[in-house]
Amino acid sequence: MSDNTIETGDIAHKRKPVIAARWIAAAQATGWGVMSIGLFVAFWEFAWWRGWANPLLLPPPHIFLANLTDQFRFFDPNGQRIGALSSGGSIWSVLGVIGWSSMRVFLGLLFGFTASVIVGVGIRYFNIFGKLTLPLITMLAPISPVAWLPVAIFVFGIGNTPAIFLVFISIFFVMVLATLSQIDAVPKHYIQLARVMGASKRQIFLRVILPAILPGLFVTLRMNLFGAWMVVLIAEAVGVGSGLGQVTMMARNTFNASLVFFTMTLIGLTGFLFDQALRLIQRKVLWWIAPSNIGAL
Amino acid sequence: MLGLSISNVSKVWNPAGPNPVQAITNLTLDVALGEFVVLLGPSGCGKSSLLYIVAGLENATSGTVTFDGLPVTQPSPERSLIFQEASLFPWLSVRENVGFGLSIRGRTPIERRDKVDALLRMVGLGGAGDRRPDELSGGMRQRAALARALAMDPKVLLMDEPFAALDIQTRARMQDHLLQIWQASVASVLLVTHSIDEALALADRIVVFTARPGQIKAEITVDAPRPRDLRSPEMIDLARRCEALLAEEVTKAFKEQELL
Repeated sequence: MSDNTIETGDIAHKRKPVIAARWIAAAQATGWGVMSIGLFVAFWEFAWWRGWANPLLLPPPHIFLANLTDQFRFFDPNGQRIGALSSGGSIWSVLGVIGWSSMRVFLGLLFGFTASVIVGVGIRYFNIFGKLTLPLITMLAPISPVAWLPVAIFVFGIGNTPAIFLVFISIFFVMVLATLSQIDAVPKHYIQLARVMGASKRQIFLRVILPAILPGLFVTLRMNLFGAWMVVLIAEAVGVGSGLGQVTMMARNTFNASLVFFTMTLIGLTGFLFDQALRLIQRKVLWWIAPSNIGAL
Repeated sequence: MLGLSISNVSKVWNPAGPNPVQAITNLTLDVALGEFVVLLGPSGCGKSSLLYIVAGLENATSGTVTFDGLPVTQPSPERSLIFQEASLFPWLSVRENVGFGLSIRGRTPIERRDKVDALLRMVGLGGAGDRRPDELSGGMRQRAALARALAMDPKVLLMDEPFAALDIQTRARMQDHLLQIWQASVASVLLVTHSIDEALALADRIVVFTARPGQIKAEITVDAPRPRDLRSPEMIDLARRCEALLAEEVTKAFKEQELL
């Protein structure tokens, strides 16, 4: 690239086509998404039509999406009536159930993210705290969140708290270790420059280290989002008595395959929307992360 | 005494470890007010270590560094540092990067704006204030880094191979640019390079380093007025002298590596 002030003008000039190209890219991505799901559905329907898939065990979408109001009856935001039909289930009760599950995931992620960054930073910058906690955290990290489920119920009983706690646990240890590695990866020059410009330790932390580690932590958070969803469903199935996990468990117990697949569809959609939301936050709040083309050939 | 004074400085990296490395031995060097001094030497000869010590980012193992008569113990905005990579903060716009040091000093954005914009124009980035660092070319980024260093009104600019990552054409323009800015200011410059041409184009005085442990092998004063024609006979003579001095050291450094 030539080194010339005229370049600055060029950059401003290139903006508009970039935005148009972005819309086209988004439309294309949506097109491929529809194709991808469409192919899968078509294959499933074909298998049903040929008689390969037993509609009682593997009902294709046109069956489990056929009678929505019938399905809605099983959704009760208040839960607590395993196996029973709630009276007059509507789309609102379905959204209520999704809302409960989403709230648990959201709060678990929020607490987990905040706590792990605080603990990670504490480990790196307060020597004794680090020496006392890091071995414990490294030992607790490989324990599956599912193994924590009984503990969560012993301690918190039945309700929202154990589910939120489980989501918290599912990301906390990973995120602490990620915070450590992110801090270690902050370019030394950033810190040296800040010191030369007269920044205090606190300023260096708040204005250099924190913005430098946030993007990487956010990527880790996104990667663990699906794990958090898996965990919340297990918690709901066992220890909460409401939410999408509870509905799935009820469907299993009552051998209602249509309801199983309908709930799975809802879970997939919600998880997808969560990921999109995190992406949006990543793009708006952490705008300095270059668009990723990692692994491109 | 005004200016920078380095006396009998030695630096050992990792002194307690299994492989202590003697980076610098007994080095004495003065840089006068407004002087442009270039440190020239083979890679790994300790010239960057010296720059870090002068910046106050590292402590000398022995010896003292004083600036305007006061001992250097910690980093200070009056000794600004520029690295080979611009190291602009990617989460700030170019303008915010240049104004970072001023905001650390507690200046409000409105107070910063005039000074920062003047600096950006001075380094030829007048229209790029709102751009993100990753939208700039390597040369533009390095100019932004220069503006950021100048924003602190430094008394000495410490530059660690600042143009080494740039292509040759960009490098030549950046050197001209640096000279103009330096001539317009009162700051001294202490610049590390391994390029003889760069040293000849810029320096009042070239300090040639030995291979590790770094010591001063020779000092060459360059009187020719700037901008200099590096193809003129005097310059070619000087270049040959520098080349000969460096060649010995490079051979020495290679031999040492073979023995290890």
